[in-house]
Amino acid sequence: MRVKLRRFWRNTLIFLAVMGPGIITANVDNDAGGITTYSVAGAHFGYSLIWSFIPIIIALVIIQEMCSRMAVVTGKGLADLIREEFGVRVTFYAMTVLIFSNIFNTISEFAGIAASSELFGVSKYIVVPLCAFFVWWLIVKGTYKSVEKVFLLACIFYVCYIISGFLTKPNWNEVLKSSVNPKFQFNKAYLLMLMGVIGTTIAPWMQFYQQASVVEKNIKLKNYKYSKLDVIVGAFIVNIVAIFIVIVCADTLFKNGIRIETAKDAALALKPLAGRYCFYLFAFGLLNASVFSACILPLSTAYSVCEGMGWEVGVNRRFRQAPQFYILYSAIIIIGAVVILLPRVKLIPIMLLSQATNGLLLPFVLIFMLLLVNNKRLMGKYTNSKTYNLFAILTVVGMIGLSIALFFTLFIK
Amino acid sequence: MLSQNKTISEKLNSQCMFVYFSQLMDKPVIDSQGELVGRLYDIIVKPTEVYPASANLIIRKGFPNRKYAVVSWHDILERDEKEIRLKIDKPKIVFSERHDNKEELTLRRDILDQQVVDTYNHKVIRVNDIHMLAVDHSLMIAHVDISLRGLVRRLGLEKIVDFIVGLINKNADYLVTEHLISWKHIQPLSINPVSMSIKINVPQKQFSNIPSADLGDIFLDLNTQHQFALFKSLDLKTKSRIFMNIDFKAQKSLIEELETREVVEILNNIASDEATDFLEKLPRDTTEKFLNLMESKQSKKLSQLLGYSSDSAGGLMTAEYLAFPKDTTVESVLNQIKERAFKVEPAQFVYIVDEYNHLIGSTNFRRLFLANPQEPIQNASFPKAYSVHLNSSVKEVAYLMDKYKYYAIPVVDENGVLQGIVTVDDVLSQVISIAWRRLKKIKVQPKQ
Repeated sequence: MRVKLRRFWRNTLIFLAVMGPGIITANVDNDAGGITTYSVAGAHFGYSLIWSFIPIIIALVIIQEMCSRMAVVTGKGLADLIREEFGVRVTFYAMTVLIFSNIFNTISEFAGIAASSELFGVSKYIVVPLCAFFVWWLIVKGTYKSVEKVFLLACIFYVCYIISGFLTKPNWNEVLKSSVNPKFQFNKAYLLMLMGVIGTTIAPWMQFYQQASVVEKNIKLKNYKYSKLDVIVGAFIVNIVAIFIVIVCADTLFKNGIRIETAKDAALALKPLAGRYCFYLFAFGLLNASVFSACILPLSTAYSVCEGMGWEVGVNRRFRQAPQFYILYSAIIIIGAVVILLPRVKLIPIMLLSQATNGLLLPFVLIFMLLLVNNKRLMGKYTNSKTYNLFAILTVVGMIGLSIALFFTLFIK
Repeated sequence: MLSQNKTISEKLNSQCMFVYFSQLMDKPVIDSQGELVGRLYDIIVKPTEVYPASANLIIRKGFPNRKYAVVSWHDILERDEKEIRLKIDKPKIVFSERHDNKEELTLRRDILDQQVVDTYNHKVIRVNDIHMLAVDHSLMIAHVDISLRGLVRRLGLEKIVDFIVGLINKNADYLVTEHLISWKHIQPLSINPVSMSIKINVPQKQFSNIPSADLGDIFLDLNTQHQFALFKSLDLKTKSRIFMNIDFKAQKSLIEELETREVVEILNNIASDEATDFLEKLPRDTTEKFLNLMESKQSKKLSQLLGYSSDSAGGLMTAEYLAFPKDTTVESVLNQIKERAFKVEPAQFVYIVDEYNHLIGSTNFRRLFLANPQEPIQNASFPKAYSVHLNSSVKEVAYLMDKYKYYAIPVVDENGVLQGIVTVDDVLSQVISIAWRRLKKIKVQPKQ
């Protein structure tokens, strides 16, 4: 018994040391764009989309686990591996699209910051520059370890949504019923929403970020099972939070037939229906998520691009040693913040562009990942097993089909 | 007119002499009948020479079912900007599914786009292109290109970008400076999957020319797999130098991969203060295990040093010093200095002790050279010997060093028996970290 207990503590300690990359990456997923999508899904379709989070969890675990495994086995980032195995041309174009897609994503994070600042009644001209500076300062002055701690703290604040979910006193029976027994609707609006929900959960930058941060953490092969657990825990947390966002909006807005466009609309509509606290929690959750993602997106972009192009990388280097890294990192933050502060800027086209570039890049990234993870020379005996590959290929094909469909609907609409 | 012609012909000549691997890659390969065989995929080089020469070419054909064939470089008839013509017929060339023979060094798989160590600039770099020299029929690797222009060339945009940059500034750094690094300074890092080590082709001279601190930094720049593979391929001396110059985290992850025997070998071979620095951070039982396996002399020294607190003179000191009985002649001291092998360069001080190892004086190399060789060393001693106690603080040591301009200061116990010496580099690193903590303005930059 005692030995067992001691082993349990030892394992828990190792897990706590290894955990981070998976949980952080998954949580960034619930960024401003994600929260908007889930709010709209809940407000317009009630509980009827909740079932989709179960396949999303599985897909997320399968894809992120492969990244994590490649990082531990090869000790290289995804951009590194793509450059080394597929050459510079492919890397260059992939990185160009990644930069654009992440600039659009960062703009929408700053839009989230601006929206939540207005919810609290503070001018966005104060909050957005402050947040931009904070984000920049955190990375330039921090080390990987200290930054990770701040990020894990940010993950805890997602609890906001869970609390606000309980505040609206949902009908749990109905929630459970609709998640186990999906009521699928065959109409255009429902299908588009479904694509949006799934599409927002798996984005190309995530694979780059997750793999890079596992590499940075220097996790050993013998501790790999903990890293896997990290991915699984992350996938569950992020989707539980997402489900709660859907529940909050379904319970209040859907029941009262309120239509919304953005997360800000959702928060404002919540105020009379669910009370002030629920409103504040929702607004704070949006702020936290936006700032958190605005930290990670520019960082992840700068890391991947410099890695792939062979430029000096790293928070621990000075500007002169890694100029491209700092220029790229700072430029993305500045663009993100400035665009939002421009008067008369339209957000919807930016959101659409971000979705379109994501959709364009994702198929390539996923195919590269499948090829890399099954490369014996790189992975040795840690390639995918046959069954795993079957599931992985199914997931990848599904995701590709979805992102292509989404890509075209953006233009047909 | 004439001079212009000359420069053109020179230019042409130099173009033929040198070729970038990216300009050869994917060029069509034609057989003796003029039929297309496939496209050049990769070049296998003989890694035995300082500048490896091309031995075989790998031809690739078919899509998506790719097939590869290896053809000897001697079978090439000629090569120009458009294509490569072979002497042999197409049917003679055997294509198969696979081409990688893991033992060989090939350009596309092992060098292009990969990370390599630049032993001249002491950095880890990524290869954008390979610059090759044509020497009677075969090609030799002359340089690797790490420039932005190399990247642009690989993208097939060299002409356009050159033109645009030329419009803006004809003498732009981008056009004028070439970032070529001679192959003799390049250490590839391709890992042999069987032995999990890196083939060091040129003798390890290159690594021995790099200052130890830079060597440690290069090592930390590599990913863990490469770190381990490179480490395994080096000789004991280089291993020890790297081990002394990396942080504890990297040391620890390294010893987890190494066999105990190898770790002990390294610990036997590094300066005692570095060894204690490392051992005191390990769990008690691991330390004991290593100490038991080490040479008895070194392990005795280390277990003694491990007893002192790490910011006292006892914790900082090394047991590597020169001490001689007071009546040894200067000549014999000098001879012994010449013969003795040192793990690290000792500070240029010699200590004078009596028969019970009490410190009675000190001298330096200069004084010894100037002294009469037949006299005992006591006569060459400094007028007064300064020393510190085992439990003296770092500040005290630093103060004395500054005051008397010493590079090393002896440490004695309460009975005045010489225990070891503290050298200036160990004190400096301690003092700097204290100063940094105080001056919050300066950000402490931890190694990764």
